[in-house]
Amino acid sequence: MSRVGDLIRKLRRLPRRQNASAMPTVRYATSPLLASRTPPWRVKFLIGAIGLGFAVLIGRAAWIQIIHNDFYLQQGASRYERRIELPANRGRILDRNGELLASSVPSPSLWVIPKDFEATPAQFKALAKLLNMKSAELKKRLDGNQNFAWLRRQVDDSVAQQVAALDIKGVHEIKETKRQYPEGEAAAHIVGFTNIEDEGQEGIELAYQKQLIGRDGVRHVIKDRLGRVVESVGDLIPADDGREIRLSIDAKIQFYAYQRIRDAVAFHKAKAGSVVVLDAQTGEVLALANVPSYTPSDRRNLTGAQLRNRALTDTFEPGSTMKPFIISWALETNRVKPDTVISTGNGRMTIDGATITDSHPHGDLTVEQVIQKSSNIGTAKLALQFQPKEMWELFTAVGMGQKPQIGFPGVVTGRLRPYKSWRRIEQVTMSYGYGLSASLLQLAQAYTVFARDGELIPISLLKRDEADDTATPKKLALRADYKPGQSAPADDLVPVRGTRVFSPETAREVRKMLAMVTANGGTAPKAQAMGYSVGGKTGTAHKQEGKGYSGNKYRSWFVGIAPISHPRIVVAVMVDEPGNGVYFGGDVAAPVFSQVVEQTLNRLGVMPDLDVRPDITAMQSVEESF
Amino acid sequence: MARLNLLLVVMLLFSCVWLIRSSYESRHLFVELEKAQSRDHELQSDRERLLLDKRAQATPLRVEKLAREKLRMFSATPAVTHYVNEAASAPVEVAP
Repeated sequence: MSRVGDLIRKLRRLPRRQNASAMPTVRYATSPLLASRTPPWRVKFLIGAIGLGFAVLIGRAAWIQIIHNDFYLQQGASRYERRIELPANRGRILDRNGELLASSVPSPSLWVIPKDFEATPAQFKALAKLLNMKSAELKKRLDGNQNFAWLRRQVDDSVAQQVAALDIKGVHEIKETKRQYPEGEAAAHIVGFTNIEDEGQEGIELAYQKQLIGRDGVRHVIKDRLGRVVESVGDLIPADDGREIRLSIDAKIQFYAYQRIRDAVAFHKAKAGSVVVLDAQTGEVLALANVPSYTPSDRRNLTGAQLRNRALTDTFEPGSTMKPFIISWALETNRVKPDTVISTGNGRMTIDGATITDSHPHGDLTVEQVIQKSSNIGTAKLALQFQPKEMWELFTAVGMGQKPQIGFPGVVTGRLRPYKSWRRIEQVTMSYGYGLSASLLQLAQAYTVFARDGELIPISLLKRDEADDTATPKKLALRADYKPGQSAPADDLVPVRGTRVFSPETAREVRKMLAMVTANGGTAPKAQAMGYSVGGKTGTAHKQEGKGYSGNKYRSWFVGIAPISHPRIVVAVMVDEPGNGVYFGGDVAAPVFSQVVEQTLNRLGVMPDLDVRPDITAMQSVEESF
Repeated sequence: MARLNLLLVVMLLFSCVWLIRSSYESRHLFVELEKAQSRDHELQSDRERLLLDKRAQATPLRVEKLAREKLRMFSATPAVTHYVNEAASAPVEVAP
C-alpha cells in the first residue's frame, strides 16, 4: 500500500515543478479528493468484483460449451446438415401367380409460390396447356394463397419434365407416388384403392394398410453450394419398404368371372350381380367379382352402389340353397334315407295358421327329388322333425350368422336369430332359407361342406403358403423374382383341414342329389358345363322391401360344385333384380355358373371327367387382306 | 538438427497436401456414389413403371379382345381339346 502512497506523492510533486516554469493552470493535484487516502477496502472490493465478473463469464461459457451444449450443437448442425427423408415404397399387391394387381410409380406433384410466380404470356399459356387447365382456372389458383398453391398433383413424369423445361420462376415439384391398378374394374372390389396421401381406403389396400405402407427412412447429409450431397453424417436409417401382399385371386379367373357376370347383368337388365369362386382344396378365394364396378384410377363420379363389394357386404335370405343342409342333417341323423318317400300333397301346407306352398304340386317325392324339384313342403316336413336347437347348431356350424374370417373390411355376419325365440312356422320357413340371411361368400363357404366330404373349411383371400408362414419381408423379397403366368401345380396343393359337420357318406349322397339338380329334369340344367360334371342348388326369391316382399323384384342365385365327382371348386353366382322377364335362378344365374366353371377348371388344368364328343375340325382359313 | 527439422517440415507439408487430396477425392467419390444410387433408384422406378405398362398391355381384357378380333381365336373347350395321358406310351391318335 505504501508504494501506491509514494506514487501519489510523486504525482503531486510533479505539477509543482512544472508550474514553476509554466503559466499558472488549474491545480488538479490539489483536488481534495486526491488528497484523501484511498481506503484499502475499495481496492479489494474492485478486484473482487472484477474477479467475480470473470468467474460468471467462465461459468456461463462452461454452461454453454460443456454442460448444456445440445441446443447450440443442434443449431450448428442445422446450419450445415440437411435431413433427407427416404420414403418407403408401398408394397405391391400381386395375384396368386405373381401378376401385378397394384403397384406404385413415381408421379411428381407440381406446386407454386404465387407471389414468386413470373411468367411471360407464352409461358403461362404453355403451362395451362400442360396442366390441362383453362387459363382462367390457373389464374384463379394463383390468386389464392400467396405462399402456396398446388398446380396439379400426381402428373405423369413427362408432363413434369416439360413443365420443368419451361423454367418458370416460382413453380416447384415434389416427388410423390401414384398407385396404379392394371386390372382395372375387374379386380377393383378386391384390391380397393388408396387416396392421394397413399392411405388405403377400400379393399386389400385398406385391410393391409399397415403391412403395405412400410416405414420411411432418414439420413443426414452435408450439401455443398450447388446442392450436391458431399458427405453423410450420423446414422442412416434405411427405408423399410412395404410388404408385398400375394392374394389368392387368380387374375385370369377373376377376369372371366367379372366378364361373365357383367354380361349376364347387362343381358338380364339386372341391377347388380356377384360371383365368388372358391378353391375347394385350399379354401382360397380364386375370384370375387361384383357388378357394377368402377375403375380405381378414375373415381370422380363414384357412387356407393359401384363401390359396394356385394358378395361380402350384402346379405339376403339364402332361400332354397339352404335345403341341402336340412336334407343332409336328416340323412346324417338317420331320420331318412335318400329314397324315403315324402308326401308333398297338392303343394300347400298349413302350419299354425300360415300356409306354405310349392311352385308346382309334386305329390309324392323321394328325398332326392325334394332337392331336385326344390320342394318347400318336403324340406319343411323334414325340418319339423328337428329340435330348434339342433337346427340352429347346424346352421351355425356351416357358418350362418358367423363372420367369415378373411380379414377384409366390411365383411358382414348375416343374421341367424337365437333358437329360443323361434316359432314353429319360423323354423319351417328357415329350413328353406327364409328368416335368416347370409352373404354370397358365406353361402359359397357353406357349400365347401359338400365339396369337402362333410368338412367346412376356412377361406382365405391370401395365397395359402403366404398366409401360413410368418412372412418376414426378407423372405418375401427373395420371392420377388417370380415368373409371370406360372401356376402352382395341382399336386402341390395341400388340402386345408376343416371342421367336420357331416360324415363323408352323407356329403357324397347329397352331392349326388346336387348333381341331379343340374341334370335334365332338375331346376338348373343350364348349369351343366361342357366336359365337367357339376352339381348345385338354385335359389330365387322375392326381394324384401320394407316389411314385406316385393311382388316384381327378384333375386336369383346359384351355388354349385365342380367337378361333382372330385370337387375342386365351389362357385356362387347371384344376380340382383333381373328385369328382363326371366328371373329363376336356373335361368339367370346357372348359365353364368356354367361358363365360370368351364373357364376356371380349364385354367386350373383339371381334366374333364365327362366324355365330350370331340369337335375338332380344321378351321376354314380366312384370307388375309393386304 | 536443422536438416532433420527441414525434413520434418517437408514431410508435414507433403502429408498436408496428401490429406487435402484424399479428402477431395473422397468427396468426389462420394458424389459419384450418390449419383449412382439415385440412378439406381430412377432405374428401379422405371422398371416398376414398365412392369405396370407391360401388365396393362397384357390384361386379360385386351388379350382376349385382340385374340378374338385380330387373330380370330376362340376359347378352348373340352370338345376341342385332346387330353394326352402322360402314362400312355403309345402314340396318341389325333382326332381329325
